[in-house]
Amino acid sequence: MFGILILFLLQFVNIKLLVGGLTGSAVLWSLNLIDVFAYIESLVASLDFTKESFIAVLAVSGLYLIFGRAFCGWVCPMDFLYEIIDRVKKPQLSGLQKISAKIPPQTGYIIAAFLLFVSCLIGIPVFSNYASHLTNFFRALTGVVSLILDLPVGKDVVIYSIAVILFLLLFEFFFPRLWCRALCPVGKVYGLFNKVSLLRIGFVEGRQCGECMLCDQTCYMNVKIAMNIDKPALRDSNCIYCGRCSEGCETKSRLIKLKLWR
Amino acid sequence: MSVSGGLVLASGLMVPGRGLLHAAKEEFEGPLPNIDVGGIIRPPGALPEKEFRAKCVSCGVCVNTCHVMKYDAIAVSGLKDLTNFGTPYIKDMRDFPCALCMECPPLCPTGALKPLQKEKVSMGTALIDFSLCFGWNGDVCLSCSKACPLGATVFDFYNGEWGNQPYINEGCVGCGLCVKYCPIGGSAIKVVTKQKYNNLKDSYKADFKSLISLKSEERYNVVYGQNLPKIMERGRMVEREYR
Repeated sequence: MFGILILFLLQFVNIKLLVGGLTGSAVLWSLNLIDVFAYIESLVASLDFTKESFIAVLAVSGLYLIFGRAFCGWVCPMDFLYEIIDRVKKPQLSGLQKISAKIPPQTGYIIAAFLLFVSCLIGIPVFSNYASHLTNFFRALTGVVSLILDLPVGKDVVIYSIAVILFLLLFEFFFPRLWCRALCPVGKVYGLFNKVSLLRIGFVEGRQCGECMLCDQTCYMNVKIAMNIDKPALRDSNCIYCGRCSEGCETKSRLIKLKLWR
Repeated sequence: MSVSGGLVLASGLMVPGRGLLHAAKEEFEGPLPNIDVGGIIRPPGALPEKEFRAKCVSCGVCVNTCHVMKYDAIAVSGLKDLTNFGTPYIKDMRDFPCALCMECPPLCPTGALKPLQKEKVSMGTALIDFSLCFGWNGDVCLSCSKACPLGATVFDFYNGEWGNQPYINEGCVGCGLCVKYCPIGGSAIKVVTKQKYNNLKDSYKADFKSLISLKSEERYNVVYGQNLPKIMERGRMVEREYR
C-alpha cells in the first residue's frame, strides 16, 4: 500500500508516473486503469459501451486474474488504515460483535446489486461518486495536499471526503472488519476473481497440521482455513491474501503457503 | 486589488501554484451579470451532459492531469450541486482557463471524455460584454484574440472610429483563455454553455447589431456616458484570484 500511495503522491509534484486515484488512474501517462466495480457501475448508469473504458477495465481484470482479491490486502488504503485502528486497544462490546457476526458475507452482493440498480435508475454511478472509500480517500488526499499546492478542490468536497473516511474508520472501531468482510461492494467484486485467480492458498503436501488454529485466529476476514487443509487449494472469496495465516502457520507446521503458479 | 498589488505580482514575487501565497482577491462583478453560465462547464471532449454524468465515476484523473500539466483549470464540483457532486468542471476561467492541451481526454478511464482535436471541442461559447470591452469603447486592445489558442479564427473584428471592435463567432470552443487575458478588472468576457448560447444567441446578436449600427452621437453617449465610468472604476488587472 505504501509504495503505491507514494506513486500517487508524486502526481502532486507534477510527475507523470501514476495519475488519479484507485477508482481510476493513468499509469505512465498512457495506460488507463479503472476499478472493476466502478466500471460496471458506469456501464449500467450510461448503458453505453466504450472501447476506452473496456481496455482500462481489461488491464485491471488481467492483474487480478493473477492476484485475485490481493487488491484488498495490498493496495486498498482502507486496509492500511484499518490495520492501524486494529492495533488500538478497543473496548470489548460483545453486543456489537454479535451483530457483526450475524451479518453474512453475502450482504455485499446484495449491496452491490442494489447500488447497480440505483445507478441504472438515475443514470449516476452512485457508489463511486458519493460513498466510495477509494474515491473519497484520494479526494481527501488531493484536498489536503491542495492546502500546500493550491489544487482546485473545494473545501466542502474535502470535508465531505474526510468525513466519509472518518465514518468508515469509526465503523471499523466498533465493527472490526465488517466493512471489508461483508459490506464493501468493491471487495466483493474482486472476491469473484478469487475463484479463478492464479494466486490461492495452498497446503504443502506431506506436512502435518499442528491443530493450533492460529490460521483461523489471525484471519480477520473469517476465512475457515483449518477445516479445509485436505483440499488441494482454498479459494474463498473473502480471502485477501494478506499472508497472516501463512505467518501463523510458521510457528508450528509450515503447512499453509500462498501459491502463485503451481 | 490595488495597483501596488498588481506591481508586486508583475515583479514576480507571486509564484503561481504556491497555495499559501494566494494573490489578493479581486472583487469586481463578472461581465454580463444578467446572463448565467447555463449550468456547468465540463472539461474538453466531454460527452453531452447526461451521458457524461452517467459515465463519470469521479476518479479525479482529469483533475490531477490538469494539475500535472500545471494548468489547474479543472476543479471538483462541490456539495451545492448534489447531482453533480464530485464531477470535474472548469470553475472560473478568469483564474484558470482550459489551455486546450488535450491531455485529459485520452487519460479518462471511463470514456466520459473523448479524445478529439481542439478545434472540435465544445465546452461553451465566449460572449463579450460590449459595455466593458476596451475594443468596443474607443481603445485598441486585441488581448483576447492574441490569447486565443485557435489562432483567433473565431474572432471577427469590426474596425471603426470606436476601436477595433471584436466579436466572437460560433467557432468558439469555450476554453476561456480570452477570459483570463482580458485586461479589464473582472474580465469583459464570459463563457456560457453551448446550450445556453443557443437559447440567447438571437438576443445577443440583436444587441450586437443595434450597437454597431448606432449613429456617432448616440454611440458617444453610450461610451462616455455609461461605459467608460464603469470601465475606469475597474482598471486593468495583471493577475486574478477568484478561486
